[in-house]
Amino acid sequence: MVEVTGLSKTFGKDTEVLKDINLKIKKNEVVAILGPSGTGKSTLLRCLNYLCEPTTGTVRVGNVTVDAAHHTRQEVRNLRRQSAMVFQGYNLFKNKTAKENVMEALVTVQKKPKAEAEQIALKLLEKVGMLERKDFYPAKMSGGQQQRVGIARALAVNPDVLLFDEPTSALDPELVGEVLNTIKQLAEEDTTMILVTHEIRFARNVATRIIFMDGGQIVVDGTPEEVIDHPENPRLRQFLNFVTK
Amino acid sequence: MKFNWEYFFQTLPYVASKLNITLSLTIISAIFSLIIGMVFALISYYKVVGLSQLLKVWVSFIRGTPVATQLFFFYYGLANLSSWILNMSPTVAVAVIMSLNMGAFVSETIRGSLISVDEGQREAAMSLGMSGWQMTSRIVIPQAIRVALPPLFNDLINLFKMSSLAFLVGVRDVMGAAKIEGANTFQFFECYACVMLIYWVITLILTAFQKVLEKRCDSIYA
Repeated sequence: MVEVTGLSKTFGKDTEVLKDINLKIKKNEVVAILGPSGTGKSTLLRCLNYLCEPTTGTVRVGNVTVDAAHHTRQEVRNLRRQSAMVFQGYNLFKNKTAKENVMEALVTVQKKPKAEAEQIALKLLEKVGMLERKDFYPAKMSGGQQQRVGIARALAVNPDVLLFDEPTSALDPELVGEVLNTIKQLAEEDTTMILVTHEIRFARNVATRIIFMDGGQIVVDGTPEEVIDHPENPRLRQFLNFVTK
Repeated sequence: MKFNWEYFFQTLPYVASKLNITLSLTIISAIFSLIIGMVFALISYYKVVGLSQLLKVWVSFIRGTPVATQLFFFYYGLANLSSWILNMSPTVAVAVIMSLNMGAFVSETIRGSLISVDEGQREAAMSLGMSGWQMTSRIVIPQAIRVALPPLFNDLINLFKMSSLAFLVGVRDVMGAAKIEGANTFQFFECYACVMLIYWVITLILTAFQKVLEKRCDSIYA
């Protein structure tokens, strides 16, 4: 479903954020990426839809492959259509209501008729528990509500894989639960997902696979039992000790 | 010296009758400065190589020199090089300079409003596979308009007042008419008081309208 080969990312001259990442993710996997701040977790995720352009390497999502060495704008757009992203800062379109936010890509990218897009939008808003707020602008929603609309918007394009970039980091603690519940529900439906998160316990419960990154590299890659319950790598142990205390 | 109220009220209708020239100068320049401003703003927003750097110099030049000087330089200076400018009517010359001058200010207003739409929304649009134009036209511009309208209205008020420079090249606008009338009767005090009053009243009307606009802009999308 997702395949990353020889991916690296260098900012400026010699700030190497990602070093030769190789990664394969199968359909229906729920992958959580953990790790200390500044180790390139978000950068890796953003390379998957080219919001961040890798320096070298190839990224394949679904049946679209993009090579950092030579790619066209159209290829990048095709790649982006295979996935959808949920952002830390929600990033809802502020000039659109909840419903219009979900409809937007259906109408503009997938060229669906408005009525059909609206049906899909309403169904998804119901799924994330936001149907009552369908005509609200983002300014009138709480962070948790905005994020749930953000998830509905990402689901609307029926992506091969859902990318979550720290979806609860900007939320007030009491609002984290509603968003995590929505994500959990998706995981139970076998949606293919990649989550960058700091919620270790949540990752343990929801993910089918956990990747631990440090210093721009994948250090540990395994099942939640292996990675969280029986960590062997010293750096991972240190990290888990630190965040669970 | 006493203020002659009778003469003041006698002159007021005559001076006010030249508002048609003042207002048409304002409206025509407003339209052209808006067009210039939008084109310039898009060039610098998209960072068009070469052009955007050139525009930076142009905007700095326009903002860094007085309008009156720009008008004289254009109408009396550049006229030496171009018979087109030499044969230009003063009213057109004023409109050209007003449009060029305000266009530079308007471009900055519009550019700022485009930038005010946060990067996150752009990323969201891109991540969904929207094209650059879809993103700009459906997400960025509708929000930018809301941000730009109140300051653009300010630019319009400034443009209206700027039109009084037209008298410098002999146009009989409100200011020009008052100056000629004053030169005939030597009652400058009353004549220019007429001009002040007329500009003030129109500006008050425009400002009131701007307040309403600002409120509407604030409440949309909320």
